[in-house]
This record gives sequence, C-alpha cells and structure tokens, in this order.
Amino acid sequence: MLAISVLMILPIIYIFNNAFKPYHELFVYPPTFFVREPSVQNFVELMLVTSNSIVPISRYIFNSVFIALLSVVGVTIVSVLCAYPLSKHEFPGKKFIFAAIILMLMFTPEVIQIPRYLVVSSLGILNTYWGHLLPALALPVGVFLLKQFIDQIPDSLLEASRIDGANEIIVLARIVIPMSMPAIATVAILAFQNAWGNLDTSALFMQDDEMKTFPFFLSTLTSNLANNVARQGAAAVAALVLLVPNLIFFVILQSKVISTMAHSGIK
Amino acid sequence: MASVSIKHLYKKYGKEKHAVVEDFDLEIKDKEFIVFVGPSGCGKSTTLRMIAGLEDITEGEIYIGDQLVNKLPPKDRDISMVFQNYALYPNLSVYENIAFGLRMRKLPKHEIDLAVKQASRVLEIEQYLSRKPKDLSGGQRQRVALGRAIVRNPKLFLMDEPLSNLDAKLRSTMRMEITKLHKRLGTTFIFVTHDQVEAMTMADRIVVMKGGVIQQCDTPENVYSKPANTFVAGFIGSPQINFIEGKIVENALGHLEFRTTRLLLKIHETTEAILRRNNQVNKYVILGIRPEHIKLEGLYSETVITGIYKDNELMGADRFLYLDIGQEKPLIVRVEPENQFNEDEKLKVELDLSKAHFFHKETGVRLTD
Repeated sequence: MLAISVLMILPIIYIFNNAFKPYHELFVYPPTFFVREPSVQNFVELMLVTSNSIVPISRYIFNSVFIALLSVVGVTIVSVLCAYPLSKHEFPGKKFIFAAIILMLMFTPEVIQIPRYLVVSSLGILNTYWGHLLPALALPVGVFLLKQFIDQIPDSLLEASRIDGANEIIVLARIVIPMSMPAIATVAILAFQNAWGNLDTSALFMQDDEMKTFPFFLSTLTSNLANNVARQGAAAVAALVLLVPNLIFFVILQSKVISTMAHSGIK
Repeated sequence: MASVSIKHLYKKYGKEKHAVVEDFDLEIKDKEFIVFVGPSGCGKSTTLRMIAGLEDITEGEIYIGDQLVNKLPPKDRDISMVFQNYALYPNLSVYENIAFGLRMRKLPKHEIDLAVKQASRVLEIEQYLSRKPKDLSGGQRQRVALGRAIVRNPKLFLMDEPLSNLDAKLRSTMRMEITKLHKRLGTTFIFVTHDQVEAMTMADRIVVMKGGVIQQCDTPENVYSKPANTFVAGFIGSPQINFIEGKIVENALGHLEFRTTRLLLKIHETTEAILRRNNQVNKYVILGIRPEHIKLEGLYSETVITGIYKDNELMGADRFLYLDIGQEKPLIVRVEPENQFNEDEKLKVELDLSKAHFFHKETGVRLTD
C-alpha cells in the first residue's frame, strides 16, 4: 500500500521540482528527480510569455474559474436530480435510461467529438459560455456514483419524511442531499477536473480568443515543444499551474471524499 | 382519534397471479390497539403500508374516520408511523428529528418547541435532544422514533415491527411503555409484529394473518383459547400446541373416543356434543392440546398415555418435556421445573381433554358449536 502510494505521489513531486529547476538542470543527463538549485527563473519566463499575449491573461483565468465553478455547481445539481429518481422512484423506461447512462461511461471523448460539435453548433452556442458549460453538464460517472450512493439510503427514511409531511423537493433537499454529501463532493471534484482540464471546448467551440480558457492558453504556449529547448522552463511551470487548482479543490473536499470510501466500505 | 375501516383490500404486485393481501376486511374501533401478527411474508406489513399510503391499493377501500383515503398521499392522512429500523434522519439532531413533522406543517416556533419538549419529557429523552441519532443506543433511538410519532398528535399510529431490533429485556420494557403510551394518548394504534408475545401482551384485538389472508381477528384470550384453525393454534402459544391426528369412533357404551394406531382416549362430554353436531363420528380429525393441559400423574385413566422421555428445556419457571408417543412430532408437556427424568424413561401423562380442540382434517378449521 505504502509503495503504491509513493508511486502515485512521485509525479506530483516531480512536477513541483521541475518547475523550480533552472535550464541547465532541466536538461541534465541523467535527469534528476529533486531540484538542486531552485530558482524562479521559469516563473519569470512564463510571466514574460503570457504578458506578450494579445488577450490579457486575467481574461483567460477568469474564463477558466468561471466555467469551472459553474460546471461544478451545474454538474452536481444535474447529477443529483438525475440520480435521485433513478434510485428511489419507479417510472417507465427507468431501466433503459440507466442502461444508457452506463453505456455512456464506455465512450471515449474522441468518439463523441463530431456529434457534439454538431449539437453545439446547431444550438447556436458556439463562442459563448454555454458552449463550455452545456457539454460538461451531463457527467455519466457522476450520475452513476450518486445513484449507487443514494441506493444505500434506506427507503424507510424517505417514507418517514413523506409521512411527516415533506414533499419530494424537501425529501431531496433535507434528507437525500445531506446524506449523500460524500458522493456529491466526489462528483464535484470530478466535475472540476473535467472542466478545468478540458481543452476541447476551447479548441472546438470557441473562435474568439477571449472566450478560451487558461489551460488552453497554456497548452498552446507549451505545445510544439517536444523537440525544443526554448520555453521548456515555462512549460514546466505551466504544468504546475494547471495542477495546483485541482490539488487545492481536492484538499478542500478531501475529508468528504474519504468518508465516501469509508461509507461504501461498510455497507 | 379515528376508527379505521378496511373493506375487501387486495394487493397484487405487477402481473403476479397470487395476491400478497387477499380480501382483507376489518373494522378498527376508535382508540383500539390492534396487532397484526403472522410469519414473515404474510402480508401484515404490506397491509400496514397500504393504510399509511406508502403502497398502492390494488382493490378495496380504506377509510380513516369517515374519509376514504385510497388516493390520499401519506402526509394528508394524519397518521404517524414508527419503522423497524427507526428511520431517524441521521443528519439531524434528536430535537430536529422530532420537530421535522411540525416544521413541515409550518407550526409557529414556540409551539414546535413546546411540543418537542413535552414529547421528550413523556419519553424521558430530554437530555439527548442535542445529540445525533448515531450517538444513541437502540432503546434511545426507539424512544426518539416514538417521540417523532407522538409529537404531531395524529389520528392513527402505525408501527411496523418497532421492537424487533431491541434486545429481549429492552423489548419487554418498551412493550409496557408503548401500552402505557396508548392509554395516555387514547389514539388508535395498529402494530405489526411477528412476535406472538408482543401480540398477546399489547393488543386489544389480534389479527392473525397467513398468506395475505386474515385467519382470525379476536381478543388475545380468544385467539389463544379458541383458535379458529390449526394455523392460529400453532402460531400462538409457546411452546407450540400439540397436534395428534386420529379418528373419532363410538364405543360399545355409546361414548366417543379418539383413536390413533397407538392411542385410545375418551372424549370429554362437552366436546362430544360438538363432534356429534359437526358429524365427525367415524371421521379423521386433528386433536390440538396445549402443553399446559397435559399433567404428569393421571387421575382419569381414560386419558392417560405413555410416552418415552427424549429431551427437555428448562425455562426457569417451567420445564418443557419432549415425549415420543409414536407420532411424527414429540408431545410437548409443560411441568414444574423440579421434575427431572432419565433419557428413554417411560412416563405416564394425563391429557385434559376438556381443554382440547378438534380441527377438521382437510380444512384445519376448529370444530365449534
């Protein structure tokens, strides 16, 4: 267990170290793992590069944060609203809908890129925030996770609250959601990662630069660098910058997620 | 306060042919304590859930008071229910659990506070009001669940095996408390259990169910002493009633006798008339006799039988003897605990046939006047 966790954490440590390595250390052979002479030279380089862009970098950051937060809120709401009836209500076509959601778990993003473009373009939301948001709203993994979690809530709890006089909205808001907080936190993290790391929507649906996201901007800066020496330092920092928000978001919700695992372990 | 009237109630799931509840017909009087009892799967919980509105009704009518409630959602039926697993909201404190129903009914704050405090005083859970359900013991959780039910002052209380998760000692305490609560509140109670002791001790009337059908609905005394059929006789009473299959024959003197391959018992005069009236002479019947109606020494030689002692169970105040009398099942005899015997010892026991029941062999129905 310990060995595996060390293996898992190594890349993160590597990214942190790489960002602080001066150029001569980045290209040293054999490559080193830990930084020897930490410097902020790479950060300065990244700032220089970004300050040269036409659209101010703050705009990219705003886009990213705005989209990520909206999609976290949106995805959790949509997932809960979809998972609750699937789990606790009977209606015609329920099994079919759930089977369809499971099926969707198996598609790779590449498969649905073209149909998704057609949908987004015919909705007329190219070049708008909706173009970023709508494709991300349906998160099959989130629905699946929440449904399995809500399945574990005893029916008698919901029945008790109905006898107590609660309607479905109150049952959902006062009983189901508070009891599924761990799963909701997990879905929020997944949604955040999904939205933050998503370059497709910027690349495919946004023509104007000011509608694109920060990670997309960084990726354009650092792409085509495979065999290049220039800007490798900036790329190292960019990797770190992309990682940090995910890390922060995870740390905030971590205690909840861990209780998901504990909970699902017991029942 | 309300009476409940259930008319020809049926419950079927999907396209299944067999009904889970079949032609359930019952009038429950105001302030009555009714217990539905039966083995698991007999439809008692389903019936209760139909009264609560948690389960659709396939056919039939349910009235609470004068109101037909078939289509009424649970919250509009003015009932409260206690569940087997208590169904306390784990995310809310005890206070909020009890107050939940009142908040849903938008009562003013001070009234809610008063009602919660009062209910918690009645159930002696005042000191736990700020705790979460997970920090309470089973008995305390049970009280909170009761508190949540009584605080709303409903017309009807429904309880679905509320004591089955408690240990034996606590169960008997809670039994008394619920009976006390019933007297104090003067509300109609419907209580579902598979435990005959709960049914016998708490009920005004017991409804014994099997396979979705009411077998008998009567007072605890009558259910025990005048069981409607072999099922009720066998289900109520611990240890179980003894059943012996045999034939009713008339002897040379014109008296009726109960005969099996190994036994010949003279039938008591009172029962003789019943058997004659039911045309059971020379027919096969089932004799049912409770273990306490069998004694060790016989005064009447006509009803003494010999059995081989096989086993015993000491219950403290009683000892149950298991005797082999050549039947499929051993004969159970309830005796004083001092009586001890060696295995395979021959014992003579006397059957008090004036207390015995005779059942129709095919239908299992008790033969009565």
